[in-house]
Amino acid sequence: MPETVPLLELDLSLPWARPVPAIYWFDRRLRAWFSAQPGAAPLAIVIAGTGGDGNTSKLATLRAVLYGAGYHVLTVPSPTFPGFIVSASSTGVAGDLKQDSQDLYAALQMLVAHLPRGTRISEVDVLGYSLGAAHAAVIKSLDDVEHKLKIKRAILINPPVSLFSSIGRLDELFTLSIGSGDSGVEQLYKRLYTRLANLYRRSNKVTLDETDLYSAASAVLTSDADFSAVIALSFRLSLVDVFYAGDLYAGTGIVVDPKHPPAVGDSLEHIGVVLRGKTFADYFSTVFAPYYLAHRPGSTPASLLADNRLDIIADTLEHNPDYYAMTNDDDPILNSDDLAWLRAKFGARIVVYDHGGHLGNLGERQQVTDLLEMLAGLWKRGT
Amino acid sequence: MRVRALLALAALLLGGCASEPLTVHHLPPQTPAADTAAAVAQASSNPFQSAVSPKDKEGADVALLQAAAVPPMHTYDPWERMNRFFYRFNSRFDEAIFLPVANNYQRLPVSVQAGVHNFFGNLAEPTTAINDVLQLQLHAGLKSLGRFIVNSTIGIGGLLDVATRIHLQSSPTGFSSTLGRWGLHPGPYLVIPILGPSTLRDGFGLLGDYGLAYALNIADLYRGAKGYALWPIDVTDQRANTDFRYYASGSPFEYETTRFLYVHRELLEDEALHAKTTPTVIDRKAPDALTH
Repeated sequence: MPETVPLLELDLSLPWARPVPAIYWFDRRLRAWFSAQPGAAPLAIVIAGTGGDGNTSKLATLRAVLYGAGYHVLTVPSPTFPGFIVSASSTGVAGDLKQDSQDLYAALQMLVAHLPRGTRISEVDVLGYSLGAAHAAVIKSLDDVEHKLKIKRAILINPPVSLFSSIGRLDELFTLSIGSGDSGVEQLYKRLYTRLANLYRRSNKVTLDETDLYSAASAVLTSDADFSAVIALSFRLSLVDVFYAGDLYAGTGIVVDPKHPPAVGDSLEHIGVVLRGKTFADYFSTVFAPYYLAHRPGSTPASLLADNRLDIIADTLEHNPDYYAMTNDDDPILNSDDLAWLRAKFGARIVVYDHGGHLGNLGERQQVTDLLEMLAGLWKRGT
Repeated sequence: MRVRALLALAALLLGGCASEPLTVHHLPPQTPAADTAAAVAQASSNPFQSAVSPKDKEGADVALLQAAAVPPMHTYDPWERMNRFFYRFNSRFDEAIFLPVANNYQRLPVSVQAGVHNFFGNLAEPTTAINDVLQLQLHAGLKSLGRFIVNSTIGIGGLLDVATRIHLQSSPTGFSSTLGRWGLHPGPYLVIPILGPSTLRDGFGLLGDYGLAYALNIADLYRGAKGYALWPIDVTDQRANTDFRYYASGSPFEYETTRFLYVHRELLEDEALHAKTTPTVIDRKAPDALTH
């Protein structure tokens, strides 16, 4: 592990960015983080999971590992991060695997073109965790055709297989452990945020990171509750922002009146209360589907769901030897069919650990060793 | 002239520097050897793998999570318009001036930073000691006084924190906590220009602490030119040691979240202080399951 890792923050305006709604004034620029090796080196691009910016603690772990192994490291936000939705999305309605990946692919080309002068890149690889893993795979498949970045390998860390069925399962888990009533949900959030306030009291910091969130949520849900619900909860917190931006951009009018959008300085508390009670199914049926059905001729709700499966690049995953995956047998975002599907497609290019849940083993010795071997194309099953 | 310069500065802050397509911020290097060790430790104590109930580790705070103790998400904020304005102003000031300065400060050798941090920490010990006494925490007050004496002498005027090495741990407190100890509620949420999220009581606390320091005037550092020279260094050191960035969440709901977290952290601190000064039996019964 390196003693120190140099770090640059890149704030980039994208020429194709949509007009920025007033209340998103702080999200005008796409923010990414870059660590440069002194000489020529391969570039590892790492994509955050649902709702994550380009500097989450999981990305920091991966950055340290990859930089230590000799890579330039560029960490970028998830297309579901509000800052990305505003500065780089072509729709403002996040959650479509292919569209989001295309937007991120275009943004990555701009970012790579704007890396500091003197950065010598010998090869480009792309990685992602959770939802970011699905984006990494689709981006490489786009690049296989367009060759804009000449991506060599893609590594999928704890990927979902079907976005909406994964999160549908999370909705279910959430309802099972929290209850579905509005007051139940609001009560849960109060407890959760009180717990977070308590964490800050201990650590003297005031950032909201997924790691803090997990530890706060796991305390709130009590030990005998299904811990998968913690994952569900963290996804639900990301949904608040995705839902709000989607509703605003698509003009669907669920929580934002399209004729009178909130102005800078307006209180959003009452909207927050409503959004915290919304499920992924609500997002799909009231914002996502209406928007995409109108903008994608010939599509149906069923086809929209099908478009959001890794299936859309199944052949590539099966036959191209440069895609690798790592996941856990007990990852709550996969059911047994999903896991079987991943095993079938990746064949000898997947490692499935017995334990670790969703990303619980990120940064552990075995996981890091396998990851680096996969990136170098040296990984062999069972070695 | 000065007014014009200030106006120009304000225009720069409020306008941002959006003309360039790319801005690059040089950040202090990360120290992954230490950070990753912590991250890995955290990952291995992950709730999905660990059977240990987190509430066991957190002990006393569990009582605060009882259903009845759950505070409303709504936070008292009668000055919301003004607060939101200063939240935005602070964010721009932070990006344009405060953070770049703090980032450069963090590029100084770690020993220099530690020296500065210890120096200002040591200067605050007498104020802490007085507040400890006002909070009836005589033992803590003596400890702070001891820290001040040890660090000012053996620690070369406070540059070295020798006291911590001889098990006199730092536990800073301030006038705001003293007011809280005697029952004063944090009051409305208040975003202070440049300094950031706070409450009315915290604002008074800051004034009180500054008044105390001014009255004590240790080594004549708080009057005249020396005071003006030291203050910016102190504030820079504090900024560099505060892990917070405006709008890092990218979310328009950030104002509400920060407000809730800040005010409730203060309420929890009051609770903890009360628990320390008035010993009670803590009910360790598990919080109600959320499903019921």
